[in-house]
Amino acid sequence: MVLDFLQSLSEIEIVGGLTLLSLFVGGIIMGVGIIIAKTVRLLFTKYYAPKLSQDTAKNFGKIIYFGIIIIAFLLFTSSTGVDLSGLLVAGGIFGIVIGFATQSVVSNLISGVFLMLEKPARQGDSIELPSLNISGALLDIGTFSVRIRLFDGTIMRVPNESVFTSTIRSLTSTPVRRSECVVGIAYKEDIDAATNVINKEIRKTMPFVLMLPKPEFRIKELADSSVNIEILVWHPREDWGEVAPKLLKVVKKALDDNGIEIPFPQRVIWNAKE
Amino acid sequence: MSDETSESAFSNYGLYTIRDNLELFMPNTEIKIERMGSNVFSYVRNDSESNLVKKIIPVKSDELTIEISPIRPLNYPARRTSYVYLELETPVFLSEHSAATVFARCPIEIGVFLVHDGHKDSLDCFTCDPVNSRFALYGAPDSGTLCKYTNSEIVESYEDSTPYIDAVLEINLQNELDEGHSVSKIIFPIFGNSVYYKDSKAIIDSIEAVLKKKLTLEVFDVSKKSIQTDWTLSPSYVRDMVVKSIDMGVD
Repeated sequence: MVLDFLQSLSEIEIVGGLTLLSLFVGGIIMGVGIIIAKTVRLLFTKYYAPKLSQDTAKNFGKIIYFGIIIIAFLLFTSSTGVDLSGLLVAGGIFGIVIGFATQSVVSNLISGVFLMLEKPARQGDSIELPSLNISGALLDIGTFSVRIRLFDGTIMRVPNESVFTSTIRSLTSTPVRRSECVVGIAYKEDIDAATNVINKEIRKTMPFVLMLPKPEFRIKELADSSVNIEILVWHPREDWGEVAPKLLKVVKKALDDNGIEIPFPQRVIWNAKE
Repeated sequence: MSDETSESAFSNYGLYTIRDNLELFMPNTEIKIERMGSNVFSYVRNDSESNLVKKIIPVKSDELTIEISPIRPLNYPARRTSYVYLELETPVFLSEHSAATVFARCPIEIGVFLVHDGHKDSLDCFTCDPVNSRFALYGAPDSGTLCKYTNSEIVESYEDSTPYIDAVLEINLQNELDEGHSVSKIIFPIFGNSVYYKDSKAIIDSIEAVLKKKLTLEVFDVSKKSIQTDWTLSPSYVRDMVVKSIDMGVD
């Protein structure tokens, strides 16, 4: 009975030699191919992915899955005996049309591939895209877009092309970072004494500031009302939040405690003699 | 060692069995352990910066046993590195093909361990010298190694450690080069070095530092050397792991 049924299917021709039976066999091949692809991806994700970085594991997973699907599709076409040459010509023309229409999509796809190959930052790294005014932690590089968790906790999706063509500043790829601030002291004050007390206060109250390289003090400007001193300190990359936002407070406290004046803007006006 | 009474002087390292309450005094730090219920104790630590750490400790038996011991200085202000940077207060000059052994101070932190059923669980850790617990970078900012930094004084023997502040370690220096060099700093991964204590003194496994030629480069090769001692071995506060030593350049 089954043989009769299959015989009947083989006699029904759909188009150009493609019978219902060959389509049925092709469908089984594609179905098995999808099941195998999913199983292999599942096994890879379970046993091998934990040993790789998340980005690499995800990309390998996709390559394995779609690779098996493509092989299954090729088996399907060869089993059905479909001549794809006509389809290729039509597909070529169709591809040009689609190419123009989906230029940005393709561009994002290609940029994504290059971002995955170049790896300007790793998953979890804090990055800054100055031209886009975006700073945050890189969550993942996807097929068409990059997801970044901003420092305010929200997640931003940025098209791959924008990221690829932007300047990327990695904030966590080096073991240490530097933070700076500028403070003005009155002209009457001793600069060495001021830097000395600031240095002592930083040493005492800021445990994340490195001993080496030492905090650096530069005379930034002889400004209208004050001598501006730039203070540069190094700290572990993870501890920017423990240093940069607190540095000015520590500097002000050191100057206040030692009676060193931070002047208000002031202007001396000379009246002409009447 | 067993102690249930309050002490006015600095307490010693060691095991303490508590039935009711215990007060421990260390430089800038005070620990109070009190019974709260039949099988519950409270743990309170106070330091000079007014930081307060409180914990509730349920126990199976009627008493609580803790161990106070020196540990590797890697936890304060935060766990960021496994390396220690010893900047010798007085550099040691090694003439060509010579060797020397010196004892130097190395900072420590204090670990508090809960002892039960043959296990020692990490309960708390702190430093009695927070002002000198700082980091330093060895190398360039983009590729250097973050280290725990100390300005290390050369001392005479293992007995010269400062209670609760530092330990003493032996440094075996050797110069295999054809010219003399001053050794002013030593960077090494301290994860491999065990810490030992006796009363309120502490020592650390030795290190061997060899100035030698590696192909065309002159390097300062630092490795660990275990010591044989009857002092008590401190438990590890965090799980030991293998950390590769770095190739130091010769100054």
